[in-house]
Amino acid sequence: MLSYAQWDHFAYMVISIALLGFGASGTFIAIYRNWLLKRTRYLLPVLMLLTSLSMSTVIFFIRHFFGNFESYLLFLDISHARVLVLSYLAFFMPFFFGALAIGLVYVKYVRNIGLLYFSDLIGSGIGGLICLYLFHIFLPQYLPGLIAFLPLLGALLIVEKTDILWLPVTVLLYAVIPAVMVFHPASLQMSQYKSLSKVLNLPGAAIVETKPSVYGIIQLVEAPALRFAPGLSLSYTSEIPVSGAIFCNGEWFGPVYRFQREDSAFFMQSTTQQLPYVMHKVERVLINDGATGIGAAHAVSNGAKVVNVVEPNSAALNIFMKQKFDQNEHIYTFPEVNLIPKHSRSYLISDNSGYDLIVLPPINAFGGDAGIKATNEQYLFTLQALDDIWDRLNSNGMISVTVWQDYPFRSSLKMLALLVETLKGKGIDTPDKHIASIRGWGTITYVLKKSAISFDELRRIRRFCSEMYFDPLILPDIQKDDLQQYNQVEDERFFEYVRSIMAQDREKFYRSYPFNIAPPTDNQPFFGQFLKWGRIKSMISNYGWSGLPYLELGYLIVVFTFIQIFIIAIALILLPLVKIGWKGKGKSFTLVYFSCLGLGFMFFEIVLIQVFSLFFGNTIYAAAMVISGMLIFSGLGSLFSTNLGWQAKTISIVNFLVMLLIITYSIVLISLIRYFIDQPIFLKLLISFILVAPVSFIMGMPFPMGLRRLQIVNSRLLPWAWGINGCLSVISTVLATIIAIERGFIWVMLLAALSYAIASLIGNKPNFSRVKSWRQYRTALK
Amino acid sequence: MKIAWIFFFIFILYTSSQDEYENRRKLMVSEQIKARGLRHEATLRAMETVPRHLFVPTSGRSFAYHDNPVPIGHGQTISQPYIVAYMTQIVDPKPDHKVLEIGAGSGYQAAILSQIVKEVYTLEIIPELAEGAKSVLAALQYNNVHVKTADGYYGWEEAGPFDAIVVTAAAEHIPPPLIAQLKEGGKMIIPVGSPFMTQSLMLVEKEKGKIKTRSLMAVRFVPFTRSN
Repeated sequence: MLSYAQWDHFAYMVISIALLGFGASGTFIAIYRNWLLKRTRYLLPVLMLLTSLSMSTVIFFIRHFFGNFESYLLFLDISHARVLVLSYLAFFMPFFFGALAIGLVYVKYVRNIGLLYFSDLIGSGIGGLICLYLFHIFLPQYLPGLIAFLPLLGALLIVEKTDILWLPVTVLLYAVIPAVMVFHPASLQMSQYKSLSKVLNLPGAAIVETKPSVYGIIQLVEAPALRFAPGLSLSYTSEIPVSGAIFCNGEWFGPVYRFQREDSAFFMQSTTQQLPYVMHKVERVLINDGATGIGAAHAVSNGAKVVNVVEPNSAALNIFMKQKFDQNEHIYTFPEVNLIPKHSRSYLISDNSGYDLIVLPPINAFGGDAGIKATNEQYLFTLQALDDIWDRLNSNGMISVTVWQDYPFRSSLKMLALLVETLKGKGIDTPDKHIASIRGWGTITYVLKKSAISFDELRRIRRFCSEMYFDPLILPDIQKDDLQQYNQVEDERFFEYVRSIMAQDREKFYRSYPFNIAPPTDNQPFFGQFLKWGRIKSMISNYGWSGLPYLELGYLIVVFTFIQIFIIAIALILLPLVKIGWKGKGKSFTLVYFSCLGLGFMFFEIVLIQVFSLFFGNTIYAAAMVISGMLIFSGLGSLFSTNLGWQAKTISIVNFLVMLLIITYSIVLISLIRYFIDQPIFLKLLISFILVAPVSFIMGMPFPMGLRRLQIVNSRLLPWAWGINGCLSVISTVLATIIAIERGFIWVMLLAALSYAIASLIGNKPNFSRVKSWRQYRTALK
Repeated sequence: MKIAWIFFFIFILYTSSQDEYENRRKLMVSEQIKARGLRHEATLRAMETVPRHLFVPTSGRSFAYHDNPVPIGHGQTISQPYIVAYMTQIVDPKPDHKVLEIGAGSGYQAAILSQIVKEVYTLEIIPELAEGAKSVLAALQYNNVHVKTADGYYGWEEAGPFDAIVVTAAAEHIPPPLIAQLKEGGKMIIPVGSPFMTQSLMLVEKEKGKIKTRSLMAVRFVPFTRSN
């Protein structure tokens, strides 16, 4: 819901802060331990009622009492910061009440910690999978109300005989609230800056169909004044037909366009995207992220014989395929067009065909994305992806990509750097012989050709530019006078920058340019990340503080979130010490050991999600599978750990094993993923569960084992340990993203291994000499 | 006698508020427009004359002369004063010119142009805005402005060709009919880029049958707070 109303990074920020509810519950129990433990019988059902209540009403409260939030305006209008803080608080509540109930159970029944932790993790894992299914059936606004029935059910299950009369009545009364929220759900107002909001401003525009999906909310819009022809040449004189459009989570997915084969003036032929088709005849074309088929129609209009279109968003495609077009107007019913419902990168790895042309999706929305995709992994725009694409090209094959011109220049330069470095990787040091590029008033198209560009192709490109009022940007024989015959740029340094990237010492240019334009890799697949921290001061002086969100909003919000989380988490960790004292047995062990577990587990989980995104070609499936798989197998590991006891040596060995396994995974996992990537989805699910199982099983043991030991050393520290683990888990999710952007995922993996190495060392340290045997251990627990 | 005193006070308040708006306009021109290097005399005069506050809704009147756009409803804004002045100056309007504006909005840009050129034709796709602009322009007696409710994509063929075209809304493509309705030697100014993020103002010129573009400057249209 938050991703729909704003963007992913906003959801990321709010949920990250809200998850600190887990940490806060530990702090609360640590401070009020005795009072809470005495009243557990009454408190547990009440906490569950409160969880249900806050869960079902959170969106309602934010919508009606806190006003309309705009993440873009955070840097401009202080009132939006106030709404943000109140939103944090509202989302924090269900996590806090729920975690308080879980934490109380852990502390009170620590002797059964293995079983409890197992149940908690198994429940969470299954919950994640069920949610994935629910996303297929219900729109997100219905889910908080529906899910809120679960804590109510929990409250009924734990009712004690003495309370049998009043509690069920209370629970039933409370059930009215989630029921109301199911039948009259509240939803957040969409940001005015989203593509859908802008299209809905057009007269007569209306949403005619809305469908839930795991990709987000898919919406079909009819807009009588919407005409789609991005970057059209100024020499084009025919009419542009009106089209509807499909949106995914409020962002543009594709136009609903009726293509007619006999259309001699298909507008795409008058855009810079025509460049590869001008160069030479192409028969076999692969369109990546083909959406509603404009790229396919473009290829067909140029006489391609085979057009393979890869598009993973099956939910959006379903809506598009249902449009009542004539048979000869629906591009995906054309005999030469094959629709492949897969993720483009996964398909590239598994496909063995050869192509004359491979088209990448356009980069940047019209006017730039303003760094909104800074934290999105874009596996189609990495050096390794271009390597895979190169391998699919025929001997004269071409890669084509179009970029909206942005200012300050970022995407256009980074894309060029990616193409040049790809050539360099293939041992070609003369990029000017293999790259052709032309520029219109709004777009730049680059074509990388496997063989050298011929004289005849140059002639055709120049003629096309002249007819369309486009300018050549990169050609083997380009002259300075060619650059701005029709389209003058505001800042002519752009051409120097292009030359610097084409030159041998381009590394020096990457370092000196104020934005990060070095080509992304699979290890750091963040094409949309341009921020250099060393240049932030000059950015503020050039564009002003309020100008920052227009340049690099996504990454800034992640860092902003991290700073907030870090401060709150430290406060939550230190606060219980005021009550339980700063000194005493087991404190340093508790702090270091449970911090390491929180960091290590989440770091590893984040990396696994990233790796499996490539495997499944879908982040949502990957996240659901990894999170659920890890929770379920960790739960089993936790249950098994009850047989292993409490000895320091055992705990140390278990943590050491985890460390070894993480290092092993960091070496072999990518190769295994690439090997199995072509398997059908059910086999892929099975393989991924098998891959996740061993390490997750072992990773489920250190936490309950540590708690059991703590029960013997100093049981007052149990809630503190629970809180530390919760706080560090949240910190690590955000920190992992920052480390991945700055240093790459391999560093995150190594830090996860390091965390478990430290846990292994510290696990061996504390003196537990007073408990030497199982019998003593059991006695201590009693 | 009492009634006379009441009228006197109303008159004083009215004239002082008029003076206040006039002062704000002068400040706007000197601090926001001249200070940024715009020197086109006719444009500056028009900006000093046209009462911008009457083109914004009453609720936004106190912000009318701020260095920001102001929401006018229906998801639209009245552009920042500097942008209005810049777009006017760049098409080099002359007293005998006929100018087409796409996206009348509040009617303010048309009012500025009407002070300089012979005829202004302005199109607005949202009927409520078109009606509002028409009535304000009529009330202020800008009689050389013609307002029509229509999709700007097709331009105003029967009134063309035009010496200049001012497009106030960004688009992913420039409509071919507008290019066709531009006179030889004519100029069109159009913002390129998302209306809420960084944009570039682009000048389109028709010379000897060929079309050339020039990116003029990157502008960041300051966003507005949602109006409802």
